[in-house]
Amino acid sequence: MSLPALSDYFIPEQQNELIELLQRFGENAMIVAGGTFVHGLEARGLLSEVEALIDIGKLGLNGIATGPSGVVLGATTTLADLKQADFIQNDPAFGAVKDALGYPPLQIRNVGTVGGCVAASVPLYDVPATLLVLDGTVHALGANGDREIALTDFFTGLFENALRTDEFITELRLPAQAAGTASAFLKLETNANDLAIINVAVRFTLDEAGLCRDSRIVIGGGIGESYVRAGSAESRLNGAKADADLFNAVSKAVATDIDPVTDHRGSAQYRRHMAVVYTHRALGRALERLS
Amino acid sequence: MKKLIELEVNGEVHELAVSPDETLLGALRDHLDLIGTKQGCDSGGCGCCTVQVDGKAVYSCMMYAVSVQGSEVTTIEGLARGPELDPLQQAFIDAGAVQCGYCTCGIIMAAKQLLDTVKDPSEDEIRHAIAGNLCRCTGYRKIIDAIQLAAAAA
Amino acid sequence: MTTTIIGKSVPRPDAYDKVTGGKGYPVNVKLPGMLHAKILRSPYPHAKILNVDIRAAEQLPGVKAVLTPSDCPKRKYTTVYFVPTDAASMVQDMLVMSDTVRYAGQPVAAVAATSVAIAERALDLIEVEYEELPFVLDPEQAMQPGAPQLHPHAQNNIAVNPVMEFGDLEAGFAEADHIFEGVYETQRVHTCYMEPRVCVVDADPEGNFTVHSSMQSLFGLRQKLSYLLEIPESKVRVMKPPYIGGGFGGKLDIGYIEPIAALLSMRTNRPVRIEQTRYEDFITTARHPIKVYLKTGVKKDGTFTARYAKSILDTGAHATHGAEVINVHGMFGFLLTYRCANRKWEGYAVYTNNMVGGGFRGYGSPQACFAVESQIDEICDELDLDPIEFRRTNAHHQGDPHPFLPGMKLDTYAFDECLVKGAERMGFARRTGPNAGEGHRKRGIGFACQPLWVSGCLGFPDIYEHSGAIVKLNPDGTADLNTAVMDLGSGQITTLCQIAAEGLGLPMEAVRMTQTVDTTTVPFDAPSHASRVTYGAGTAVLAAARVARQRLLQVAGIMLEVSAEDLEVSDGKITVKGSPDSSLTVAEVVQRAESPFVQVTEEGPAPTTVEEKGTIIGLASTAPAGNPSPASVGFVEVEVDTETGEVKVERVVYAHDLGKVINPNAAEGQVEGGFQQGIGYALMEDLQFDEHSGACLTADFLDYKILTAVEMPLNIESIFIESNEPTGPFGAKSLSEPCITVPAPAIANAIYNAIGVRIRELPITPEKILAGLGKL
Repeated sequence: MSLPALSDYFIPEQQNELIELLQRFGENAMIVAGGTFVHGLEARGLLSEVEALIDIGKLGLNGIATGPSGVVLGATTTLADLKQADFIQNDPAFGAVKDALGYPPLQIRNVGTVGGCVAASVPLYDVPATLLVLDGTVHALGANGDREIALTDFFTGLFENALRTDEFITELRLPAQAAGTASAFLKLETNANDLAIINVAVRFTLDEAGLCRDSRIVIGGGIGESYVRAGSAESRLNGAKADADLFNAVSKAVATDIDPVTDHRGSAQYRRHMAVVYTHRALGRALERLS
Repeated sequence: MKKLIELEVNGEVHELAVSPDETLLGALRDHLDLIGTKQGCDSGGCGCCTVQVDGKAVYSCMMYAVSVQGSEVTTIEGLARGPELDPLQQAFIDAGAVQCGYCTCGIIMAAKQLLDTVKDPSEDEIRHAIAGNLCRCTGYRKIIDAIQLAAAAA
Repeated sequence: MTTTIIGKSVPRPDAYDKVTGGKGYPVNVKLPGMLHAKILRSPYPHAKILNVDIRAAEQLPGVKAVLTPSDCPKRKYTTVYFVPTDAASMVQDMLVMSDTVRYAGQPVAAVAATSVAIAERALDLIEVEYEELPFVLDPEQAMQPGAPQLHPHAQNNIAVNPVMEFGDLEAGFAEADHIFEGVYETQRVHTCYMEPRVCVVDADPEGNFTVHSSMQSLFGLRQKLSYLLEIPESKVRVMKPPYIGGGFGGKLDIGYIEPIAALLSMRTNRPVRIEQTRYEDFITTARHPIKVYLKTGVKKDGTFTARYAKSILDTGAHATHGAEVINVHGMFGFLLTYRCANRKWEGYAVYTNNMVGGGFRGYGSPQACFAVESQIDEICDELDLDPIEFRRTNAHHQGDPHPFLPGMKLDTYAFDECLVKGAERMGFARRTGPNAGEGHRKRGIGFACQPLWVSGCLGFPDIYEHSGAIVKLNPDGTADLNTAVMDLGSGQITTLCQIAAEGLGLPMEAVRMTQTVDTTTVPFDAPSHASRVTYGAGTAVLAAARVARQRLLQVAGIMLEVSAEDLEVSDGKITVKGSPDSSLTVAEVVQRAESPFVQVTEEGPAPTTVEEKGTIIGLASTAPAGNPSPASVGFVEVEVDTETGEVKVERVVYAHDLGKVINPNAAEGQVEGGFQQGIGYALMEDLQFDEHSGACLTADFLDYKILTAVEMPLNIESIFIESNEPTGPFGAKSLSEPCITVPAPAIANAIYNAIGVRIRELPITPEKILAGLGKL
């Protein structure tokens, strides 16, 4: 097909084998997890330089662990498995992840992985936006050992991230969420098998006084090279009483935090308008989860 | 440079020589003559290529054949037990859910995962289970009727 | 007349095969020694090819032949094959491969190799030197002086310019109480058949060709391919597949692939297969975008006094179907729809450097209906007229002369019943005005009509309209039906078998459509298009069945010692009228006819007579008796989210006069599928191109959006009105196209009823709704 430079498809069974392969092929290696992102790129002719496909399905990187310090998601945990996890279904703090996992069709959920959709580094995906608002961190392993990269530092551009060529993601970690925390996510799509025109993830904690704290608002989709933190909207939200007037003001503030694109799916004004509307709805949904 | 792989499909193990980037769809159609799984877009957009791998519905056009070694692949050809059709297949005939039929097998394979895991799916659950499968002929109404019919028959 | 099979939802004979894998699709055809071909396409929308260097490609191991424009026939043609190759109404402006590129994606070279992968690699090795030329993508700009001239024969890039006028338009406007003007635009959309365009062509050393293709006409393909190759038709044998995976008009022509595969097969002496990718399918065929200017004069009671329209159709790089679509659009979409003495229509099919268009269910009428039915709604709203009464005021009546086809009348025309019954079932009278109720979700109801359509093409200049069938009875009491009619998925096999079974007096299961016919073994048939199969092909099938039945009864009569007129046959049994005990099975009669002349039995030799001997077979080839018009009205209820602009279609009521329902389940399926396409046309489908490069931006299902099971309304009620068309088989006329034509204007009207925003451009996206509400 469209992999003219491909020499082989590797399926390492040890992590050091994977690192060796990454070192050997450098920029021309492509890790395959679920395969949907890789095939998407291939279908658009973007993989003409790839010399090695490296499948990480046999490294035992899947698995979900929850504990007092938070959640650990193995990189190759599928979206389908994550969707069924108890804390995703029931804990309002993780509502955004639950919402995001409701969008992809069955065939995508069954193979798409948490690590894969983060590593893709494209703001059109949904789950990474939700991991961002939950202060997720990437755990990466490479020739120089392992390290932690905050998700807020992970995405450096379209299809670009902070990983070195010899590194791969082993886990995504989400810290423990304070009591009274809720999150929500909405995606603007035209039909049920679509990438986000825009998407919105929100999280906040309601303290005993009913004031919002630790808020995060992330906008993705056709929003530029990477997800955008709506900083001024977050500031507006923090320390304020959660009510209709606040949510109106916060969502309007999002409009000035973003500079969406205009393309054949929609204009910048449309995306901006919808970011405001969806922020408003997401805030409302998160609040409802706490009652 | 071809790779020799073993694929288990519908309970039978086959030895194939495939190129490293050959898809499962290509392996099924071109190497095994299992033509029930179809190509409609080759990019995970239409669902005509849907098969099950270890009981999970996947787009076979988006899976590399090499990666499927060690898993069990089920295609439409593996559903009927001799002359006895799977309830989904029979329901599609009875409900009039087949027009050109090109999407049919992919939808059956997706719906099969739903019916294997959910006893009495709601109309909404059915819609979402086949959201990744496009049909241009039927408008989906009789397809959903068929899936409900099959669920009731189980 | 009572029928036992017509009117029943019998299961489709092809369903079992399709649910177990589907062996019959042309995409499955594999021939020994087959090569695979791929096509190199121009990245530029307008260019001259200066040089094509194929040397490196030819050297690649596995490459067996490379084709360039200089290797291709110089005969100009049009892809359209429902007309003769020299039809004057068509524009012959194409070459199989040309050294002038007129759209991004136009084929410029082709490679046949031992595998698809090798063929693709070889394409990368072909070096084409282009001289880019200025291009134009907008048809109105293309008509301006100074625009690049795309074809030497077309002044101002106008391919065809039909104008039709009736009465006195000026006088009509003078007598109007009110005059309304508006501009309505529709977009380019794709048929999205799920099985790609694919063919295998096998040339033998004596210059005979065997062709397999996913197509809508055996004989059309044969005629066109033989014309291009400059050989007699008898040297091209087109094999009929048992069925294809969808067409919708998008396969109603010869593609590039069949001629290219034929040429490569000649070169290599091996069969050559070409399967298009989804991207290639997206840029191969589309419904033409049309911009319609309407000016309409009415009396204050809504009676039309004058109707004017100008339609600008973007036919892209070549005229192809545009030359006919423009006429159907102007006539059946505008001029003929309602009564009005004073009418004028001007149509322009304009060349641009966009992709070519093709057939797509509705064939010009969706674009017109959107304009006409939207404007009528605007008129009614402005003048406070009841939109149902407005249609009744201006409608044709049953028994009126056909407004276009000479010598024909609207013998059955239940348009009024469609309006009344549909309105009642929808509860149209209970609809409120725009922005009723609290909250940001607003509901609205709207409707649109297709008052006049066709059952085939009888009466249309140049278009073939005759069918044939052979019905052969077997000693086991079954019958084989042989026709060239292609099953696209819409149930042609089922319908024709039902008609044959009813006509023969056999149970449905006893009639089978022969899967292995080709252009040498069956009579000519026009393509499966224009809603013609039930009425046109059905007529021929019924005629052939009756010939066979007549012979059957003749033999039975000899066996029972009665006259054939005294016999009736039903459900496989032949009985003497009035004497139910005196009977034979069909099988017994056929066995007698097929048995040895003198058969040895236990009682000794049993001779038969010459009169009883011979295969019982019926042949007919005939044009249908007319071209009766169905009528249809579609009502939709929508909910509009005024914060997001999202439109949900909640409910559909669709009323259609189709003469007689052959198979209720299948008829419902046609309507439901038609609405999937029509709602997509209304709300989300849009084939888009980059205005700077002409490149397609929506070349896969990620970017070209069609309704999934999640968006599709499931609450669709069909009201089938049986007016019993006397010229149709068992009273039937056509069904399948109006259900795709009415949804878009019905939805536009419903949106207006919901939120008071009128949108005159398709698709009606959420962004356009928000802009209309002043929110952007």
